[in-house]
Amino acid sequence: MGMYALEVQKLTKTFAVKQKKAGFKESVRSLFKPQWQVKEAVKNVDLLVKPGETVAFLGPNGAGKSTTIKMLTGILHPTSGDAQVLGCNPWKERGRLAFRIGTVFGQKSQLWYHLPPADSFELMSRVYELRRSDYLIRRDLLIERFELGAHLQTPVRKLSLGERMRCEIAVAFLHRPQLLFLDEPTIGLDVIIKQRIRELIAELNREEGTTVFLTSHDPGDIERLCKRAIIIHHGGVILDDPVDRLKREVLKYKTIRLKLREQEQQAMSFRMDGVSAAYEDSCTILLSVDTNVTRIETVLAFIVEHYTLEDVTIEDPPMEEVIKHIYASEKANLLLGAEGE
Amino acid sequence: MRKSTASGTLRYLLTCWKLNAAGAMEFRLSFFLTAGMMFINNCIWLVFWGIFFTKFPVVNGWELRDVMLMWAVAAGGFGWANMLFGNFTRVAAITAAGQLDVYLTQPKPVLLSVLASRMSLMAIGDFMFGWVIYGLVGDHSLRGLALFMLGLLISGLLIMFFTLVANSLAFYIGNAEGLAFQVFNGFLALTTYPTDIFRGGVRIILFTLVPAGFISYIPIGLLGGIQDSFLIGALGITALVAGIGIAFFYHGLRRYTSGNQLGIRS
Amino acid sequence: MNNRLLLKWKKYEAVGIITLRHQFAYITDLLLRSVFLLLILYIFIQLWQAAYQGDADAVIAGFSLQQIIWYLVFAEAITMAKPPIGAKIEEEVKSGDIAVRLIRPLSYVGFHYMSYMGEATLRFFIHLAVGSSIALSFMGAPEFGSGLAALFMLSIGAFTVAFMLHMIIALFAFWLEETRGLEFVMQKLQFTVGGMLLPLEMMPEWLQRICAWLPFQTVLYFPAKMAVAYDAKLLIPYLAIQWGWVVVLAVVVIMTYRTGVKKLHVNGG
Repeated sequence: MGMYALEVQKLTKTFAVKQKKAGFKESVRSLFKPQWQVKEAVKNVDLLVKPGETVAFLGPNGAGKSTTIKMLTGILHPTSGDAQVLGCNPWKERGRLAFRIGTVFGQKSQLWYHLPPADSFELMSRVYELRRSDYLIRRDLLIERFELGAHLQTPVRKLSLGERMRCEIAVAFLHRPQLLFLDEPTIGLDVIIKQRIRELIAELNREEGTTVFLTSHDPGDIERLCKRAIIIHHGGVILDDPVDRLKREVLKYKTIRLKLREQEQQAMSFRMDGVSAAYEDSCTILLSVDTNVTRIETVLAFIVEHYTLEDVTIEDPPMEEVIKHIYASEKANLLLGAEGE
Repeated sequence: MRKSTASGTLRYLLTCWKLNAAGAMEFRLSFFLTAGMMFINNCIWLVFWGIFFTKFPVVNGWELRDVMLMWAVAAGGFGWANMLFGNFTRVAAITAAGQLDVYLTQPKPVLLSVLASRMSLMAIGDFMFGWVIYGLVGDHSLRGLALFMLGLLISGLLIMFFTLVANSLAFYIGNAEGLAFQVFNGFLALTTYPTDIFRGGVRIILFTLVPAGFISYIPIGLLGGIQDSFLIGALGITALVAGIGIAFFYHGLRRYTSGNQLGIRS
Repeated sequence: MNNRLLLKWKKYEAVGIITLRHQFAYITDLLLRSVFLLLILYIFIQLWQAAYQGDADAVIAGFSLQQIIWYLVFAEAITMAKPPIGAKIEEEVKSGDIAVRLIRPLSYVGFHYMSYMGEATLRFFIHLAVGSSIALSFMGAPEFGSGLAALFMLSIGAFTVAFMLHMIIALFAFWLEETRGLEFVMQKLQFTVGGMLLPLEMMPEWLQRICAWLPFQTVLYFPAKMAVAYDAKLLIPYLAIQWGWVVVLAVVVIMTYRTGVKKLHVNGG
């Protein structure tokens, strides 16, 4: 294997979408002479990922994340460009590569719905041609790690989403993949389970050196699991930075949603550096906090001291906000650069 | 206070049908394809019968022409019922999914609203098939035409209300979709085989409990010359099944709880 | 090398077994469907009895009444056992679930073949049991001789040909949005020139000649006919024709798949 777990050059995928106008004549016409419109889902993506890295691959819906992952796992053939995944060309050597990578799709179950997870483990041990003794040891280790003992004999349809996701990810680790693709692994899960799943993946990354390539639009996944973030938008890479820097520069904003007791609504008029407030309705307030200027704990302490609260939540800004910030700061950098010359 | 009048209800029905037809026209191509498929499907059954009758020209008094007319009456009757009242096969599913709420809030008869709010595209193929076969082998005199149309009326009403009874079981036993579908399928199957191949107890059942015989016998008992006892029986049973269907539905409706969609369906 | 082949076989065997076990969850559905089979078979028993005028000794086109009924039982059991592969593939392509299959070190067609065979096995035996029960009680059992052994030998090839035929259509889902129409044509061809309701001997001469050149006869007619009228001289030719078609169709399936998978465009997240 070369220096990189993942080496991608100018990867591009275009789709032809059929255009059809309403009406019978148009229907017949489109049957014989369809009109196509070309859509670029992924364009000229370059990526280099070293073995053992944890990379977050981010972007809003429809940015081309899933399409990229599907090309890197050999599911889709690209329109142009090249990729080497663990030294294999994914779409030409899909079978060979499949032995060495693992993939989890958060929205697609890979377990057999009416059967207990134990059966899916068994099937996978055959599919990946694992040696019997190795398989049993590995399975028991994962069951212990992912705390699946109690659920192993329950039909999948009776498991909660969190239990099911733990099974899905454990199954993906069964054949010791060198590279793990995770497509939205925490979607729809509650905060505690999300956190647990992130920890488990991080542990296995540390212990087994598994390279992790993850897509998500939950900034929490990125902050707590990944060292590097790549953001794509409209099919192209717009940012490739360490997560630390992303945190400092882009993910520094947090939103605090406050629900106040009704009688106190008029009192909400404090000033703090790096905090801006907006009313959502008469008793819900959204505070946008720049955590580089004021720590979130400081703001919370102040609020708790001065107000009676019904409810409070802290949220990450949505991916769309993050991208707006990136574009804004890029423009600023460009301007600064131009001035500097 | 406004009351629902007969003419108001009729106008409402006409509007329903107009809207359904307009909706179907939106997908004209797939509509003609599915309708065409049903048409061909029925034709293939007639091919089977065609080959069958080369080996056995007469089976218990039935000839190929009788079997063709039987198919014309069954498919044509099913066709108009499923075009104008396309939800009659789906009452169990609608009930189980708690989707009757929409109709319960409207000031029109619930059953009528439910039934008329869908138009089956495939059924148009069946309806056309009925008329094409009539055109080929039917009696084209005015009297023959009138009798054929009466046959279509009886056949459509019987199929619709018998299916409705099975579907209304959903109010009483919960998940009745599978059962109702089998009953519907079975009833339809029985309408397309010569009545006279059945003997004894089964034949009695076909003219009582599962009155498919009143459809399959139409080519002999009505189109081939009116047999009074058959015609009176057919009209009486049709009225009876319609009455039971309506009563069963409305009685069940009192037990309807909109939230009775239980568990995950897979 | 042998070890490697064994592992490969174990892999596909596991797919077949797990599908079979998964199907047990749908057993009530299956049993309910088989009630319909009972009804149809009952109707046909009445029909053929009327046609043969109750004469147990009459032989028409080489078939006695008892043979024709049992022919129907076997042909229907195979027909109703065929899993809806077309709908399944179309759904996988439309929903993007095909992705879950393609990330495995497993052939896509191979996976579906084993899955098809696993599911068909369960369905076949259920429908066979249901169909036999009614035929037994009305007609009694004929002397099958080696017919039943021939039935099972020919069934494997029959389901394989059926899989290939439907898979070719199903794979068109990679290009077309809608494969129902083609699927329908395929079904109706088996229905008629495949000999589902009537053994080919009952058809007009010219139609029989056409049928002999088509693959459809190998799915229903071969196994059902051999079961009720076993002929040792025909077994080898039948098996050869059947597996000949398997080879031809497999080439078409693989070529279709290879071309189609490059065009694949997967929806959804």
